[in-house]
Amino acid sequence: MPRLLAVVCLLDIGLRFTSIDPLSFRAWEAVSRSRPPGAAFEPNRQYRKDRTYGDAAAMGNIPELRQYRREVFTTDAFGFRNVGDMRARGVAAIMIGDSSAVGSGVSDDQTLPARLTALSGCGVYNAGAEDATPDPDRVSALSRKLGVHGGLVIHLYTEDRELPTVPSIRKRSVDQILALTPAWMSSVVAQIRGVVTVSPLRILSERALRALENGRILPNSYAVNVVKAAVNNGDTMLFPAAHVRNFYRKRAVAVNYWTWLQNDLRTEHQDLLVLLVPGKYSVYRPFLVDQPPVGDGMGDYLARVERELRAAGVPVLNLAPMFAAQAAARLARREYLYWLDDTHWNAQGIDLAAAAIHAAWPLAGSPCSSDHIVSDVDGRMRK
Amino acid sequence: MLFNSLAFLFAFLPITYLVFWRLTGRMPRYVWLTLSGYVFYSFWNYKFCSLMLFSTAGSYLAGLGFLRWQQPALRRLCMVLPIALDLALLGFFKYANFAARNINEISVWLGGRSTLPVLDIILPIGISFYTFHTITYVLDAYRGAITPTRNFFKYAAYVSLFSQLVAGPIVRFRQIAQDFENIDRADRTADSDKGWSFFVIGMVEKVLIADTIAAVIDPALAHYGQLSTVSAWLCAVGFAYQVYFDFAGYSDMAIGLGYLFGFRLPQNFNSPYKAVDIADLWRRWHISMSSFFRDYVYIPLGGSRMSGVLTARNLMFTMFLCGLWHGANWTYVVWGAYQGVALIVHRMVRGGWEQLPVWTRQVGTFAVWTLGLVIFRASGFGMAATLVEKMFTWQGGDEIVGSGALLVMLALSAAIAHWAPNTFEMHHQWSPKWVAGFAVVFGICLLVLYGSRPTPYIYFQF
Repeated sequence: MPRLLAVVCLLDIGLRFTSIDPLSFRAWEAVSRSRPPGAAFEPNRQYRKDRTYGDAAAMGNIPELRQYRREVFTTDAFGFRNVGDMRARGVAAIMIGDSSAVGSGVSDDQTLPARLTALSGCGVYNAGAEDATPDPDRVSALSRKLGVHGGLVIHLYTEDRELPTVPSIRKRSVDQILALTPAWMSSVVAQIRGVVTVSPLRILSERALRALENGRILPNSYAVNVVKAAVNNGDTMLFPAAHVRNFYRKRAVAVNYWTWLQNDLRTEHQDLLVLLVPGKYSVYRPFLVDQPPVGDGMGDYLARVERELRAAGVPVLNLAPMFAAQAAARLARREYLYWLDDTHWNAQGIDLAAAAIHAAWPLAGSPCSSDHIVSDVDGRMRK
Repeated sequence: MLFNSLAFLFAFLPITYLVFWRLTGRMPRYVWLTLSGYVFYSFWNYKFCSLMLFSTAGSYLAGLGFLRWQQPALRRLCMVLPIALDLALLGFFKYANFAARNINEISVWLGGRSTLPVLDIILPIGISFYTFHTITYVLDAYRGAITPTRNFFKYAAYVSLFSQLVAGPIVRFRQIAQDFENIDRADRTADSDKGWSFFVIGMVEKVLIADTIAAVIDPALAHYGQLSTVSAWLCAVGFAYQVYFDFAGYSDMAIGLGYLFGFRLPQNFNSPYKAVDIADLWRRWHISMSSFFRDYVYIPLGGSRMSGVLTARNLMFTMFLCGLWHGANWTYVVWGAYQGVALIVHRMVRGGWEQLPVWTRQVGTFAVWTLGLVIFRASGFGMAATLVEKMFTWQGGDEIVGSGALLVMLALSAAIAHWAPNTFEMHHQWSPKWVAGFAVVFGICLLVLYGSRPTPYIYFQF
């Protein structure tokens, strides 16, 4: 038995040096496995898969509700999701934010920065990452690398996320030290981290167990991770259970992170635009069958964030009202703004968001200038 | 840290094992075992290591006191003080909130206004076990059953021996004193095969049998109000096998680990489901705990040498404490009382009971035990009452998801628990075919461990 333990241990170690692309159900895990410190993903990587599916279907182990689609995920030399060298075409804006900014679930040409670039003709750099609350130092460092002086920073904030908070001095110091790390060392650290934290043997074993826990042979213990809800047109949607709980929580609103970010960016002559993206559950809850009622102080979270931001003088664009109207209009055609099996928006939702930003963005139609923008009382922006 | 975790199997165990056998001499091995025990414990919560050290130091000093003083009063003090400290620790961490809640409720019921605070207390894992180790040491030393050791690390290694630290068996010092004494002359290869055999069998019992049953019945019991009669029975019988294979598996792993380090830990489960009456079952079930209550509670109270009524009183009190030891919850207390009543009834009908065929007595004993476990498993009396009602009145309801797998596991469990030899009845000299078979099931266990989070043992909560 000790030999068997040794063999399994060696097998585990050996497999850790192989690619996990064939084992991952989508790009995110595969391309973030060995990401260097400060980068969102592994630099200069391309991940292609014809049958990826949504994170909610994976979290809940519900294969029958998967929506299979093709995903091409490309990263640039800095470890962000951009095709080719964005410096060559010129960068007018940088988008920061979480997986919705990155474009999890869609291909390279369908991400929000890509759609904005196509619509406006101005380069929008995709700096989305898992860490949805980057500090200005990182943005400034990235701007310098991209050769951007001034310009716009769009922070995409998703309703399902916790409110971003101002990072501690300690965290900022650590980040600054990490930023000074030589590239070769970052690469080594990334490789080591990837090998230590990701075990293909674990992924394989989990897959095998998930196949048994299918709700027939054994109860599906993963089902509690998601809420399965029927849409009133007969379709079925999946939501992460945590997001649904979040919706019914009375959430406090504080915007000091954004005012701090805005002030810091101003020293680099950069403007901040906060883009508020509604959660899938809050958009579709009115159209779902048998959902709990909304109590006082619930369900208006993004509206309150928007009010606070506007009061603080931070330019903001809240997509929630438009998404609610569009979701209702498209329901009869069984068209959706989010994947049925995923937390994230799909190409239709992204296109709507891009059009809304494009309409409100004063750079549109201009030669991608970097004049300051301010927010009107009604939320529209002007130079 | 759990025995069924990858960190234990691939890091803690190999390092502890290799260093232990590289060391020569008693003292380095005592120190190493102590150190490894504390590291093992600190994986759960390092802050509570000081509690274990405190309990260890108190009983160790009491042992020195027994060596030094012969005056009865001083010896009594050396016995009472550390035991009182141990029981105070146990009482505070395990029962303080239970007591406060009950006093408050009784006070309200009587029209009073007691508002004893319910504290935010974390129950230190294994406290019920290591305090019992130190209590048995002090009591045995007081009675002269053992000679206390002057070597602190020898004693600390005994209390913190990782294989028995957090969920037993409650090994008495005298049971492994000889192995500790000969620790420098232990032969690594002597019991190695036997140790691995115990360990693998224990792992299979836990990971493949107990956890699979739990995977089916736990979700079903979460909605116990919707179960049908058949499902309620399946859950009850399933839990009877789950709890047995969970804890017997843990004990076998602990005993196997003991062999790997040169310790011969005593048997903890002697095929309890082959028992022909409830007293027989208690002689076979969690032997280290039941013998503790027998030797340190039941017999000092007078045992069965007294009149029928007093014997019944002794049984009830002992089983009440046994129930309370399992947890600060009235369901455990009632479960203990149920066992006490079952033992008393058995004493009353023993003559007639023994006339029945063996298989009838075995089935009857198992049924009485299984019914008791419904109370044990229930989160409250409402759940217990609902389940019992469903079991004894025909009701429709939800069938269990995974009932096919459950039936297979129950059949396998029954075959092993009622008919197969237990690990102490096996010779542990396996032919190559058996070794290959063990390798396959152990490999499956490892893959299960890889693919899921390790499930804690039921007895960890006690």
